[in-house]
Amino acid sequence: MDKKRATIVLGVIGSDCHSVGNKILELYFAKRGFHVVNLGVMVPQDEFIDAAIETGARAILVSSLYGHGEIDCAGFRERCVERGLEKVVLYVGGNLVVGKTEPEIIVDKFRKMGYDRVFLPGCNLGEAAELLRQDLGITEPLDPE
Amino acid sequence: MVKANVKISRDEFFRVRGEVLATWPTGAAVASLDEGIRRQQALPAHKQFARAMSEARRKGQTLLQPRAGVALVEDHVRLLNYLATEGEADLLPTTIDAYTRQNRYDEAANGIKRSEEAGTSLLNGFPAVNHGLDACRRVVESVDKPVQVRHGTPDARLLAEITLSAGFSSYEGGGISYNIPYTKRVPLAKSIRDWQYVDRLVGLYGEAGVTINREPFGPLTGTLVPPCISHAVGIIEGLLALEQGVRSLTLGYGQTGNMMQDVAAMISLRELADDYFRRDGHEDFELTTVFHQWMGGFPEDESKAFAVISLGAAVAVLSRADKVIVKTPHEAMGIPTKEANARGLRATRQMVNMLTGQKMGDDSAALRREVDMIKAEVRCLLEKTRELGGGDWAVGAAAAFESGVLDVPFAPSIYNRGRLLPVRDDEGFVRIYQPGNAPFTPEILAYHAARLAERSRTEGRSLSFQMVTDDIYAISKGKLIGRPM
Repeated sequence: MDKKRATIVLGVIGSDCHSVGNKILELYFAKRGFHVVNLGVMVPQDEFIDAAIETGARAILVSSLYGHGEIDCAGFRERCVERGLEKVVLYVGGNLVVGKTEPEIIVDKFRKMGYDRVFLPGCNLGEAAELLRQDLGITEPLDPE
Repeated sequence: MVKANVKISRDEFFRVRGEVLATWPTGAAVASLDEGIRRQQALPAHKQFARAMSEARRKGQTLLQPRAGVALVEDHVRLLNYLATEGEADLLPTTIDAYTRQNRYDEAANGIKRSEEAGTSLLNGFPAVNHGLDACRRVVESVDKPVQVRHGTPDARLLAEITLSAGFSSYEGGGISYNIPYTKRVPLAKSIRDWQYVDRLVGLYGEAGVTINREPFGPLTGTLVPPCISHAVGIIEGLLALEQGVRSLTLGYGQTGNMMQDVAAMISLRELADDYFRRDGHEDFELTTVFHQWMGGFPEDESKAFAVISLGAAVAVLSRADKVIVKTPHEAMGIPTKEANARGLRATRQMVNMLTGQKMGDDSAALRREVDMIKAEVRCLLEKTRELGGGDWAVGAAAAFESGVLDVPFAPSIYNRGRLLPVRDDEGFVRIYQPGNAPFTPEILAYHAARLAERSRTEGRSLSFQMVTDDIYAISKGKLIGRPM
């Protein structure tokens, strides 16, 4: 998808310093042809939004691994709208809550917060990239893995 | 040459102390160091962490300790008592939440409020600074085991003042191990200085006859960290702590999963640390060790998770660890319930009890070769660090990270080069794939390269970052080495 490389913003939200998966996501999405702006760990909501505005990104991929996801991710969709990113595609993934919880409950909770898709541990990166391609309306196939 | 590894003077300490205690309102309650010392002196012997560690070492036991912490005081007390009774834990933790670790006490306050409203903890640990002295005393006084503060805090000065004053008798962390893997942009010179303060505080308790145990955090990023890197960091932090007056030191190491490498790592850690401490003129210290069960990604299937936990438990005993930090079958999903936490402890207990006293393969030539190899690698890293600091370990450590002499794989800090890459060899040993600027001798690099070439041949593919990624996820996907299907 060379000609229409879509820009996506990536980062780990809040006070979370889990850095390993973030580095792997960056390499993976870049390999599949996305233009990745990786903000790394410990990223406040507004820093995601600043980066999306500056780079014209069409999607923000939020990670949270340490359990504070429920607090850190709340109000993000509203903040995006407030700052003019009405149409930005918003994904969230990771270990999103404290305590082992039924997947449906977690997905429902974060969907209600305004996240377009919610990814839990063990999700398949290939499927996530394909969903992102569809959600961004990209017609060309992704670059090979 | 600058000198940074120097004992902080009393005047300087108490000047800084005033500033530290003023950073959050709960600091005022611990203004009297003497009151804290009296509370520590009043601790019964069986609740003193340093004593428990030294007895374990003398008796050849491996003590069990979980990680655990929730937002609210009464829930936290219930959790710890459950882990002591139902989990048969020997030592208790108080794991601190991630907002407190970044000194974001206002966000921790919000987390406490939200947790009270939700009727469950929304924080991943116990916000000890916000709760303050009386609540921390309640924790220590409500349990019948030694309690340690476990966290990941680059500036842990106020947390130390409050928790040590309350009677916590061990404190995890260090200026490198709680910076490089735990935060993004705190300069090493600052975190090292702030941890010298913590060590000096422990030293002041020591001057009053109270021995508080200190434990540098061994596993670092917990992701394929070669033993030589975590050993080098642990030994430097040990040297910095001893300089400030710490006497009871527990050095740690995180399981890689190859049994021989893990046993060799524990043997070499003990021998090297003892050697380096004595060479720097330290005689009056008690060195113990802690083995961390696998710190990387876990299988979601709880039966498979128990196998990972049990392997760690077995290696902890066979490597003569004085303490093992125990994982839970919920690890893949994040923070465990208290029941899952206790199940991890009980699986570990069974394995530890069955293996205690058994010995295996200590005289094997292959094991000795790995021990010698790790020692040679650590000496490369530490001698260069010493040289960069002109003999000063604090100056040297900062310079070593800046130049990439010390380089922790996959760490989030911008002060870490991140050019060194590890990968497993054909038997699952974690080896150096790309050394970055780490100053290993050509012989050491050739040894690693030769072992990695064996894996390349077996798998019919060349070394690549893909192989590294495959290794990172291998255990969570059911095997040790990330071989292609």
